[in-house]
Amino acid sequence: MKLADKFTLWFLAIILLVTPISMFTTLSNIRNRIDNSEIERLKAVNNEVAEQLKAGIAPDQYSQGRPIAILKIETPLPEKKIQVQKQRCDSTTSVTDECRITVSCYYTINGVNYQVSSYNYVTQSNQILKGMLLTAILKTMLIALVVLLTVRLVSKKILSPFNQTLNSIQKFSIKKKQPLILSDTNTKEFQELNQFLKKMTDKAVKEYSLVKEFSENASHELQTPLAVLRSKLELLTETDIQKNQATLIADMQNAIEKLSRINHSLLLLTKLENQEFEATTEINFTKQALELLTIYEDRIAIKELKVTQHIDREVNVSINATLADMLFDNLLSNAIRHNVKNGTIFLEINQKGLLIKNTGPEPVFPTEELFQRFKKSNQCSNSVGLGLAIVKRICELNNFDIQYTYENRLHMLRVDFPRIVSLEPVQEGNRIILDQDNQIVTLE
Amino acid sequence: MKILVIEDNKELASSIHDYLAGENYICELALRATEAREKLLFFTYDCIILDIMLPDGNGLELLNFIKEEHINGSILIISAKGALDDKIKGLEEGADDYLTKPFHLPELHARLRAIHRRKNLDGNNIISFNEITLNTNTFELKIHGNELDATRKEFELLLYFLVNKNRVLSRQAIANHLWGDYTDNLSNVDFVYQHVKNLRKKINTAGGDDYIDTIYGLGYKFNTNKG
Repeated sequence: MKLADKFTLWFLAIILLVTPISMFTTLSNIRNRIDNSEIERLKAVNNEVAEQLKAGIAPDQYSQGRPIAILKIETPLPEKKIQVQKQRCDSTTSVTDECRITVSCYYTINGVNYQVSSYNYVTQSNQILKGMLLTAILKTMLIALVVLLTVRLVSKKILSPFNQTLNSIQKFSIKKKQPLILSDTNTKEFQELNQFLKKMTDKAVKEYSLVKEFSENASHELQTPLAVLRSKLELLTETDIQKNQATLIADMQNAIEKLSRINHSLLLLTKLENQEFEATTEINFTKQALELLTIYEDRIAIKELKVTQHIDREVNVSINATLADMLFDNLLSNAIRHNVKNGTIFLEINQKGLLIKNTGPEPVFPTEELFQRFKKSNQCSNSVGLGLAIVKRICELNNFDIQYTYENRLHMLRVDFPRIVSLEPVQEGNRIILDQDNQIVTLE
Repeated sequence: MKILVIEDNKELASSIHDYLAGENYICELALRATEAREKLLFFTYDCIILDIMLPDGNGLELLNFIKEEHINGSILIISAKGALDDKIKGLEEGADDYLTKPFHLPELHARLRAIHRRKNLDGNNIISFNEITLNTNTFELKIHGNELDATRKEFELLLYFLVNKNRVLSRQAIANHLWGDYTDNLSNVDFVYQHVKNLRKKINTAGGDDYIDTIYGLGYKFNTNKG
């Protein structure tokens, strides 16, 4: 629910609650006023009649248009000299919708006790209520209408600094290392919010770049000690060593190799995170893929893998060339490494994307989890477990969609290239098919 | 061959020195850029091994210095920075090759020899040992004068062995030499084993001696004292 809607609802609820209460109080106030003023007037009339009686003038039956009743009473005067009687007449007895107020006053004139009463009709509260109700309903509706109409406009204006801030935060990326820019506002709450956000994001940007810088420097700094270790071990192998020593050195060399690979991959990931591979050009993916296949040719042959390829001649993808190389390298080497002897690799590259299917042991984890860093299907294997994380990151950077599934005993990795409007028509059906012996067969 | 090693890490510099000295090269060390400048001005070297990050200057500045002073000698950069851009930059500045740390010493040696072969255009593309002859230009491999049908990788492997004779070459070093940047996985050990096995078989069939020894779990060695 929008903030404006919430405000509107509350406002309407308050109006609905307050209006009847205010109506009731107004009504009783008005009625009392009317009654009281009539009572006062009737009292004055009674007094006038009493004055007339005192002066010995026979009073009229009416005085100031109000009927007068004069009664001689034998009993002593009641304690209350003025008695007011309100006769609420229901509509059945009264012709008019009015009610009668009778004021009786007691006087002692020339030793005789008199009761002077006069009465008058006043407007019934029902009538006032009817009149008020109409106004009140009209008023409420008018307020509601105006509120409904204006609240969006007004809230848009009032909340505009907030919305701008929201917008800026959404666009804000810690990786771009640009400070958050927020517009000025004179609303105190928004000022506080902006100040807080600014402080927070500035700090985050600073710390982020520090961390990045650290990991990059750390990776670089590690290279030299690794080189020292590796070279010293190599020199050690030149000395006169025994079999058990050789085994120890071999283990160390393996560990150093692994360390060096992890370091290399982490450095690469850091660089990817830092967007250091921005330069994107349109490259012919097919060319790169075929070159890489040649590089892996001997390893494919040694593992006796059967490679089926459906590769379009011209597949133009806009991507940094180094990243394209890394992407395909990781996918292909994975397909070879995690394959079985005499296994198969199916490779399809076209303008829509890239598909690699290969045989291999069933994955232990759900396939999507293998994109996480250091997640390996075989924990004790020699691989580092960063290859797919790198692949994923490259895909994310280039808006490629990547899916990893395991179906029909085949590992299937599909990379979808974003649809680009190519100026050249894609040559359909003009495909190069390379068979196991890498003979190029062109299908017309 | 006379070599100048410009590297600020003493241990690494001494490793390089020890390895190259074993090949009977004259190897000198410079731990600082200033020291390197002096040595470069006073002596001539066949090859200069240059670290890019030095405490008192950038290796690229030294490259410019070498160019400006018309100092002869091939230049091999060794750097912790392995990005393609860094490599391209180094090569554009006039280096002959670029090797990323941490490297294998036999690889460094092989690169030095390759640069040396390329630079000295006296037509000496033939590397031979006893009955084995390699032509690095045509990639021809001959045993007892008869051409042997070896794959490109097998040729490179044998060349690597011949350059680093009597040295223990670990499987990692061999994998790194054969596939360079494309050795992301560590199961290369099996592939190296296969290549070595095939090469030995081919040389053996052609009547060549089996010089390649297996050194326990470590790797292989081209043993010249055999046969």
